[in-house]
Amino acid sequence: MKTVAFASGKGGTGKTTMTALFAHLAARELSVAVADADVEASNLPLALHVENIACESFAGGSKYTIRPEECASCGLCVAACRFDAIERDGSGSYRVDGFACEGCGACAYACPYGAVAAEPSTAGEACSGDGAVGPVAFGQLGPGQDLSGKLVTEVRRLAVDAASRHTADVLLIDGPPGIGCPLIAAVSSVDILVAVTEPTVSGAHDLERLLAIAGRLKVPVRVVLNKSDLSDEGAERIRSLCISRGLPLLAEVPFEPALAALLAGLAEGGTSASFEQTRAGVAVAAAWRALAGELRREDRVRSDLRLTERALSHRRPT
Amino acid sequence: MPGRMVLAIASGKGGTGKTLVATNVAALAAAQGYRVLLADCDVEAPNDHLFFDRTVESASLVEVPVAEVDASACTSCGRCRDACAYGAVRLLGGSAIVFEELCHGCGLCTDVCDEGAMHESLRRVGEVACGPVRDRSGLSLITGTLDVGQVKSPALIRAVRAAGSTFDADLVVLDSPPGVACSAVAAVRGADALLLVTEPTEFGLHDLELSVRLGHDLALTMAVLVNRDGSGGIDVARACEGWNVPVVGRLPFARRIAEVYAQGGIVVDGMPEVARALSSLPDVMRSLAARGRGRR
Repeated sequence: MKTVAFASGKGGTGKTTMTALFAHLAARELSVAVADADVEASNLPLALHVENIACESFAGGSKYTIRPEECASCGLCVAACRFDAIERDGSGSYRVDGFACEGCGACAYACPYGAVAAEPSTAGEACSGDGAVGPVAFGQLGPGQDLSGKLVTEVRRLAVDAASRHTADVLLIDGPPGIGCPLIAAVSSVDILVAVTEPTVSGAHDLERLLAIAGRLKVPVRVVLNKSDLSDEGAERIRSLCISRGLPLLAEVPFEPALAALLAGLAEGGTSASFEQTRAGVAVAAAWRALAGELRREDRVRSDLRLTERALSHRRPT
Repeated sequence: MPGRMVLAIASGKGGTGKTLVATNVAALAAAQGYRVLLADCDVEAPNDHLFFDRTVESASLVEVPVAEVDASACTSCGRCRDACAYGAVRLLGGSAIVFEELCHGCGLCTDVCDEGAMHESLRRVGEVACGPVRDRSGLSLITGTLDVGQVKSPALIRAVRAAGSTFDADLVVLDSPPGVACSAVAAVRGADALLLVTEPTEFGLHDLELSVRLGHDLALTMAVLVNRDGSGGIDVARACEGWNVPVVGRLPFARRIAEVYAQGGIVVDGMPEVARALSSLPDVMRSLAARGRGRR
């Protein structure tokens, strides 16, 4: 199975739209599985008409509270906390600020009176269901939680499980914005990273940062320039960036409200034939063909290599 | 503008127009004669500096503590491993080892080690740059930039906030990262008011609801600005009414705005209708914040 992730650095460039459209196109010829790795703002299920959803809660770290009846107000917990998460209120008693607390437990260790209690918490949930194009895995982190990278890893695990049950040929991952922990969890070790960008100064700037992290992760990158007709100068900037870095530009997709309408229609069970009716749809379909060709080529190269290796090993005297 | 106000600008969904609103509100307020600080807290994808000609007057590295093992003193007793809430310490080959990406720098492993084998050292996560915008009197910009490959965005965001807190300004505009997790919390908590930027699409509304929940949990005074008004069929105002959050502004769905933004331009410079839509925002948010404080 091949894994393709969509990412952008900058938010709102069209990652989810592209993932959903590529999923519909891929499903014409292949068995497809999909993962939404943006667990802070999970929108892909909205676009893929997911049914039979099953969710499991995703455990967070421990949650700490101070029991006032056992607290001697000595302040040792405050001194132990590196995150300024323990406050003293007007009446002199101490309490833990759940949004500042990172759950390390240093306060509980420091308290000589055993006044700090720990209880398990839930950080969010990880879900999977049946989408119009195949199995879909997604997650939702609770507000203010700090385990997005771990939840992304869990969503990817669910997606791979579902993909192997459906013997999927390709897994498409809708990545989060940014280049931090959740993004790294979403795109590590994928076969191809599709960078969805736009012809703005912000788009180009954040694309460069995405390319830097992709380089470190040794993930090959292809580019889709979305909203390409918004700025000639901006589009030229992205094109020259692609040329100077040797990055294939899969498609330039013009800015057309019809693309959102196409996606909405597909979510409600429309057929993928309608791609050919808009300029943007034609561009996305061409991008998918280029990507699919590349995935197949890579397969052929790998199988050639395997055969060559086998032939060589046979010839070796034993 | 009496007294200092910290206005956070955020959204659950990316690309709804946080940076557009933050840069333009800051530029407008500075043009009205206020001392304005724009703090770019989107440290993974910081873009505010692309819209202004800023002179960097001060820049500082941001470092965080991480645990380190002195293998010669370690007896491999496992106490540090058991104490670590993040699974950042393991035992391997007769000694504890630390996985730096997982370490939160809480210091607990150092506290529990009886052999004195654990200590801490500092690791660079990014930098904070600060300085005035050359051609806009009264406007300064602080930018936090996460080093590529680093994962501790909240620590860097807190450093940006700390650098901004000592700055003499009438208005501090915080440009938050997208999402509703720890990075967004680090960017918006403690602000006087939170302006949520959304778009009238199904995606926008879904993520707006998550942001509203976060704002409620943080007890922040909130309001909504609808960007690209007219681009989708969703009635944002009706949803906001249900949450009891006012809609305080709308920017039209206009190709011209997107074109100016694409070039790194400040939209209010050449589009008086956009300036009109944004010029009273700080005052409106200030009165909402005052009323919110009164209720609490």
